[in-house]
Amino acid sequence: MKLSKVFLAVLLVFVLVGTACAEDTIKIGVYNSLTGRTAFGGQLELEGIQMAHQEVPELLGKKVELIVVDNKTDKVEAANAVKRLTERDKVVAVIGTYGSSLAMAGGEVAEAAKIPMMGTSCTNPLVTQGKMYVFRACFIDPYQGAGAATYAMKTLNMKKAALLIDVANDYSVGLATFFKQSFKKLGGEIVSELKYNSGDQDFTAQLTEIISKKPELLFIPADFAEGAIIMKQARELGAEFQIMGGDAMDNPELVKIGGDAVNGFIHTTFPYDATMKDMSPLAATFTENWKKIHPDKAPNVNAALGYDSYMLVANAIKTAGSAEPDAIRAALAQTKDFPGVTGNKTINATHDAESPVGIIQIKDGQRVYVGEVSPEM
Amino acid sequence: MNRKTRNLALTGIAIALLAFFIWWAQGNLDGYKIQVTNLVAVNAILALSLNLIYGFTGMFSLGHAGFMALGAYVNALLTLTQDQKTTMWILDPIAWPFSVMHAPFFLSVVCAGLVAAFVALLIAIPVLRLGGDYLGIATLGFAEIIRVVLTNLSSITNGALGIKGIPGHANLWWNYGWFLITLFFMIRLINSNFGSVLKAIRDDEIAAKNMGINTFFYKVVSFTVGAFFAGVGGALMGSLTTTIDPKMFSFALTFNVLMFTVAGGLGSITGSVIGSIVITVLLEWLRIVENPVTIGSFEIPGIPGMRMVLFSLALILIILFRREGIMGMKEITWDGIFDRSKRGGKSE
Repeated sequence: MKLSKVFLAVLLVFVLVGTACAEDTIKIGVYNSLTGRTAFGGQLELEGIQMAHQEVPELLGKKVELIVVDNKTDKVEAANAVKRLTERDKVVAVIGTYGSSLAMAGGEVAEAAKIPMMGTSCTNPLVTQGKMYVFRACFIDPYQGAGAATYAMKTLNMKKAALLIDVANDYSVGLATFFKQSFKKLGGEIVSELKYNSGDQDFTAQLTEIISKKPELLFIPADFAEGAIIMKQARELGAEFQIMGGDAMDNPELVKIGGDAVNGFIHTTFPYDATMKDMSPLAATFTENWKKIHPDKAPNVNAALGYDSYMLVANAIKTAGSAEPDAIRAALAQTKDFPGVTGNKTINATHDAESPVGIIQIKDGQRVYVGEVSPEM
Repeated sequence: MNRKTRNLALTGIAIALLAFFIWWAQGNLDGYKIQVTNLVAVNAILALSLNLIYGFTGMFSLGHAGFMALGAYVNALLTLTQDQKTTMWILDPIAWPFSVMHAPFFLSVVCAGLVAAFVALLIAIPVLRLGGDYLGIATLGFAEIIRVVLTNLSSITNGALGIKGIPGHANLWWNYGWFLITLFFMIRLINSNFGSVLKAIRDDEIAAKNMGINTFFYKVVSFTVGAFFAGVGGALMGSLTTTIDPKMFSFALTFNVLMFTVAGGLGSITGSVIGSIVITVLLEWLRIVENPVTIGSFEIPGIPGMRMVLFSLALILIILFRREGIMGMKEITWDGIFDRSKRGGKSE
């Protein structure tokens, strides 16, 4: 029985052989969550990347070819996707992805293949930890957590905070941990720390407990859908404390789901918003061009980060004067003050892009960009 | 030459051919194809283990993802270096003795299987008193419990952050080695007296009881052995992707394994292997439909998700036209190939 099996296996593996075109192009791979749980963010990032590609379609006199692969919001698929891009399509650089756990799976593969990878919005510190070839266009959770804590302490002058954490979400537990560390270091007190699971709909038990502890501030590093429900239920229970969140709340849907309850809500984010005042000229052009291409869709920070990721890679290829993966890697590592839509980017020693933390507040159903904060780590 | 020596020789040749194929693949296939080939072996191990529980013993178990999770975590904790563990556990520092445990890869995969089997044994004793759909619900619940426990035990499992940088020991040799061990074990088990008892329980439990069989004992053993190989499969999968987190082991993963088993044929060892090969390869190969296609002057833009549409269609077709799966309960055996009149006879 084994003979036929082996034969079948060999045959089927041969079926996999694809066609490789030998044109003189620079191939850049994109893997992102285009379907599955986080498709919303992944799609926006891809559109941002594609827009950047339209603006810079050529590098070093060669056409740039984008090869887009879906990772289905699944770890194994993410690893497969990057394997496919690096081995079969022979890309010189990889861009992606939304979701830190996916970026970790992809990053391992990119590292082994020695192909530079530019993460878009994966903010978990573990993504680039100990990696030579993995970079990202965003800041990391400790930085953002510290930013939120600094803003709460220094600007809002609040000393007692409560936490409500999604224990099944790596982003949520990470951000909460770092907020807690910074907040305590700055002299604040955490009066309550409660947990829930992704997908929960009823938070009244946790909220009642939190309200009884009388905090001045509730920090919820949640996704926007759950965050909006938490705020609704908190206000229904009569909570009057300030609520703060992280960049996952940066979504126009938040106001639609939360209604009046989200008024006054503050969240940290990347320093870009389509409604922000005194936008950098680059961000203004980006917003304008986006509206031309997608008239019925507002650009958000994911789109901007996708755009910046492509531009960072393109810039590295230009400065290196070569599309060799190692040359791109070296150039990426030395990126300094590169003007991006989400602020000036400097790639630091741990390969994260340092940029200020933006603060958005919801006022009368409108998202208002109130300013930036430099985290005190 | 009698039949036994002939079969033994053919099996030897087949294994040699497989070894030759792996040797050739390592030098000639690119990493992407090797990855898919690796996945085929891991998926086949998982499909075989579920087939033992569901296909041969008739216990509708939906707890596979839980056992895989246990295997993957045990293997990760045993193969990571101490240094990696201290830098990665950023929520809570890792608890002793997990911070210092270390084992060679083979031993760690065996431990992964044993831990999964031990937990399965604990679960089996209360749960296997149930039958049919109720068992499905109960085992599904246990898999979820395992996942939630892993999420919350952050001083051991690093919680929702997961573990990354697991040494990628699971190369073609290890995966196919474990695949052959699983295959050999399953064939020997199913063709033994023990296997006949399992099939008797599947076909009619009450009749089996009347024959004086302690069906509960046999069911527990079958469930535990199935979980052992699920743990092994989970360990290999974790080592293959080099990163794991609790979200990976959701119900969808059990569903995937169930799909390999059912599409291949419940109660067929050959079926499980063929099912894993066909579905794993098809899923990757179908990516071509998501790329932009140019036919003449027409250009069809790539639609993400198209692959899953076609894949689901293929599954529907399999189930519509071959409800018993690709192989049904039949096996491909040496005897079957050489001795047409005895097709579907004993394996080996």
